[in-house]
Amino acid sequence: MRYRGWLLPPALRDFHEGRIWLKDHSPFSSVDLEKAIQRKYVSIIEGIQMKPAIKCNRCHNTDPHLFTQFDCSKCQQQCVYCRHCIKMGRVSSCTQLMIWTGPKAIKINKHSLKWAGQYTELQQQAANETLASMKAKRSHLIHAVCGAGKTELLFPSVYDALKRGLRVCIATPRTDVVLELYPRFQQAFPETTIHALYGGAPYQNGYAQLVIATTHQLYRFEKAFDVIIVDEADAFPYTFDETLQRAVEKAKKEKAPLVFVTATPSAALLHTFQQESYSFIPKRYHNHPLPVPQVRSLWGYEKCFKRGKIPKRLKKWVEERLHQKDPFLLFFPTIDLMKRATPLVQELNEDILAVHAADPERKEKVLKLRNKEVPGLLTTTILERGITISNVQVAVIGAESLIFTANALIQIAGRVGRDVQFPDGEVLFFHHGITAEMDEACAKIQFYNKKGFSE
Amino acid sequence: MNKIESHCLMCTQSLKITISWKMILTKQFSPTICERCVARFVPSQSATSLYQYNEAMKDYLHQLKFLQDVALAKVFRQELHNRLTKEKAIILPIPMHPLKQQERTFSHTDELLKAAHIPFIQLLEKTTTETQSSKNREQRIQAAPLFRLKEGAQVEHKNYLLFDDIKTTGTTLQHAEHVLMQSGAKNVQYFTLIEG
Repeated sequence: MRYRGWLLPPALRDFHEGRIWLKDHSPFSSVDLEKAIQRKYVSIIEGIQMKPAIKCNRCHNTDPHLFTQFDCSKCQQQCVYCRHCIKMGRVSSCTQLMIWTGPKAIKINKHSLKWAGQYTELQQQAANETLASMKAKRSHLIHAVCGAGKTELLFPSVYDALKRGLRVCIATPRTDVVLELYPRFQQAFPETTIHALYGGAPYQNGYAQLVIATTHQLYRFEKAFDVIIVDEADAFPYTFDETLQRAVEKAKKEKAPLVFVTATPSAALLHTFQQESYSFIPKRYHNHPLPVPQVRSLWGYEKCFKRGKIPKRLKKWVEERLHQKDPFLLFFPTIDLMKRATPLVQELNEDILAVHAADPERKEKVLKLRNKEVPGLLTTTILERGITISNVQVAVIGAESLIFTANALIQIAGRVGRDVQFPDGEVLFFHHGITAEMDEACAKIQFYNKKGFSE
Repeated sequence: MNKIESHCLMCTQSLKITISWKMILTKQFSPTICERCVARFVPSQSATSLYQYNEAMKDYLHQLKFLQDVALAKVFRQELHNRLTKEKAIILPIPMHPLKQQERTFSHTDELLKAAHIPFIQLLEKTTTETQSSKNREQRIQAAPLFRLKEGAQVEHKNYLLFDDIKTTGTTLQHAEHVLMQSGAKNVQYFTLIEG
């Protein structure tokens, strides 16, 4: 006797719960999908909503410029599609989006926290405050300087939420950060199923109670999470792209709390949280002050590069680093300038490499610097955050450029001295005129040091 | 389809458009991509195509065909218009298999011509859903007939111009040409956007 009914495949439920997904892109067979729809386990909504105003039901984009109309051969009508989230598979008027409404995934309430580290007093306090906020379902802001050990102090809150059977998401605007956080969390929570989601991530089995994702991936979730932690909440493009902020809102359940974690909160964030649920850590975990940037003039550096020469002061600095065998990062304001400078710097040492956002070998090159296979890297602002390299020294070329905001400069300076063994290092701002942003960055770093070491 | 783009269709950077008298009086299309993206495309040396295949074209075709971003059909409308508007032969875009077309929701060759305001007709239909890109050179050359005449289609003793997005070995175009010549066409030539 064969069982003739239909049993819901657990993988189908585990995958689709909390997600808003293109029906045609589901990784499961259409037979199973149709059965699930028949049983009303899935609700189907149209891809593009026309009333009251045009809106993409996946990414909630409402900008009419980002919709295109065309003659659709599938439905033989005029269709509209959203160009905003097209990289995730096109959503048009005749595409169907599916939302899981069926039975809930079975949560295995077996979690353990394996982390043997020690908190500093300030970390402990911030961790306690965050935990208290989360228990009270209150949103929270953690403002901690670069290298304060922000990730570790999230562990107790995440552990508590997991034990209570809540679904937790750690979202960040940068793929690099996802890739760095994932192994650290997997190590701390060895028994928990964790998924890392980013553009191009592979299919991962089972139901993940803890999801580490780029904010872009949250377009694909709806009312899924009981807690969302937004790491590096001020990074591009999160603050710049309003739909990403809305994505976070829609990916969480209605009353779910948000936790923002950043070294450089925006004025708006500070204003919202400073009065109540706010933790501030002005000191690094290793109890050494933040390296204060030194400001150096580099007049007419652009012309100098154009003439095919390295400005003398910069050359001297790079040679010194090469001589002392310190790994270094040179930050450039534009890709063009960096490309012009690359062959010139390579004359000093041919192993020096350059990286930018679209570089497919970005990860490998950073790894090479970490493993001391190359003496230094030329980079754009892409490496301003999320990377930790022991004993790295940093110079910003053209620190007066508009792209180097105070926050960007603080993040760049924050790359230096993160290791206990090398708590100090050089941060140089080479400039063609000092800007208010540069002053603000230096002043803020000095303020943190004063705050952290006043008692 | 004729709205003025405020952002580059390929890199989403904002476009600085100044509407010039030349644009209005010569009825030019407004630009759809930024100068940086334009510079990534390399013009072809051959008279039967507009561009060479390179990394930029790979990205373009990926976004147009695989990600189904029909808006990108407009990117080359000015260049296609300039080249084909004075064409005396009857223009035939290479068709897709109906099932394939339904899957993609549009035919990219039709859309490219539509965006450039080039009139065209359709006489052929594709017989197979197999793609050329899945085959190697030998398999392509030995393939069974890829096209047949549409039911009721009349091929006149005239000049025809076949249009496709890309020519790699030329098999697709040869097959289409063969069908048309057999049915009494006077002459069949071809033109592609990209030379592979």
